[in-house]
Amino acid sequence: MAAVATLVFCAPGYPGGAGDAQPLIDQFAKAAVAGAHWPEGSLAAVYDPSEQSGLSKLGGPDAVLAFVPFAFFVQHAAELHLTPLAQADVVGVGPQERWSLVAKTGALNGPPLTAEYTILSVAGYAPEFIRHSALQAWTLPPDVRIESTGQLLSALRRVAAGEHVVALLDQTQADALPTLPFAAELKVVGQSPPLPVAIIAIVDSRVAAARAKSLQAALLKMGHGGGAGADTLSALRLQGFVMPQVPRPAPAP
Amino acid sequence: MKRWLGCWILTLLVACRAPQRPAIQSSVPLPTSVEALAAAIDSDARRSDQEPDSRIRVELATEASRDAEACMAREPSNVACLYGGAIALGLEARAHPTRAGELLRTMLERLAGAEAADAGYDHAGPPRVRALVLIRAPGWPLGPGDPEAGLAAARRAAALRPEYPPNHLALAEALAKTGDANGARKSYQQARDLAQALPSASDRDAWLREADQALRNH
Repeated sequence: MAAVATLVFCAPGYPGGAGDAQPLIDQFAKAAVAGAHWPEGSLAAVYDPSEQSGLSKLGGPDAVLAFVPFAFFVQHAAELHLTPLAQADVVGVGPQERWSLVAKTGALNGPPLTAEYTILSVAGYAPEFIRHSALQAWTLPPDVRIESTGQLLSALRRVAAGEHVVALLDQTQADALPTLPFAAELKVVGQSPPLPVAIIAIVDSRVAAARAKSLQAALLKMGHGGGAGADTLSALRLQGFVMPQVPRPAPAP
Repeated sequence: MKRWLGCWILTLLVACRAPQRPAIQSSVPLPTSVEALAAAIDSDARRSDQEPDSRIRVELATEASRDAEACMAREPSNVACLYGGAIALGLEARAHPTRAGELLRTMLERLAGAEAADAGYDHAGPPRVRALVLIRAPGWPLGPGDPEAGLAAARRAAALRPEYPPNHLALAEALAKTGDANGARKSYQQARDLAQALPSASDRDAWLREADQALRNH
């Protein structure tokens, strides 16, 4: 018996485990299939919070769709042969966001970033994204260190304490900077251009063109004007999808 | 991506002494003394911890909140009321995940008040529960989670009541979360040794299971 086609959600660095996410993404897959008029039960969904096991799942023969942060997409689109299908429109953020580079006040005012600095970010697992998308204006030295962290508060404490670290924050994190008691010690010294927040992509052309088109149409309708999908999206903190507008990353120097 | 999923996982393990109350009824009489109110909240917390049915957890949270409000109305600076109020907020957070961020922040304020009033209450319950909330709640900016502050609170609890196994379990969890695997293993082992030395009881068996499971995974 053939494996059921699977939509793999993977969001490295963000908190939470598969157990609490699974019912929500099951509901999402069901709503997407219904909207696209695919056969009922023809799409399963699985959530994985880690990059490596997410990659492993996406490498499996049943993985046909990926729902990933844009950083993950940039880092792994080529190896996984990802083709963007739709772009998530996130509640409170929108379909695009700017990433902000945060340094200790007075320590750094703009490019260049010298190699003595370490960049800490929830997207640290995606150095291609950091170098060529989020910080494309900075031309980072080849030996600059980039580290992944899910504990932004600790990272920002290190920045404020004057260690040679900077933090790269997504829009939600950057918007919350003023809430920190040591906010005066921190300064945004650079911002990315607007970038997609998250992408649904076809894995390795494993969805036939006609089915992909019907799924894309269903996704673009979800959440707009209420409807059955609105509650499903709301539980995922999404308000809908838009056509993908994937910027080309800056070329490597 | 969990930012979009908006889920909160919080399993607050509250060490209690009170016996369980019978099944929830809408007309459960309000206990009359601070001690009885605190014991009632304890009992609701223990039951909620074992309860798979979310509707019953909501009822237990509602009842605990009612008891906590009554307790605070009587003696707002009594550690039993502050601590019980914090535990009731934890139950509310678990029952109403969409309000968890705000509820957990208030819970931490109550625990700080309880710790200031009597840090040793319930075998150093105020710093221990504070540690567990800070370790397990989502971190900034999504929630009040702060593993470093959680570690500090767990160290306070273990220093204050070193003979009580859950304080070492909390410390071990905090050490693991902040990257000290060796320290975590030692604390789990210490919790296990302390529990092993206690007379057999359901609490002791639960602590042993937690320590054993963690030692296998670390």
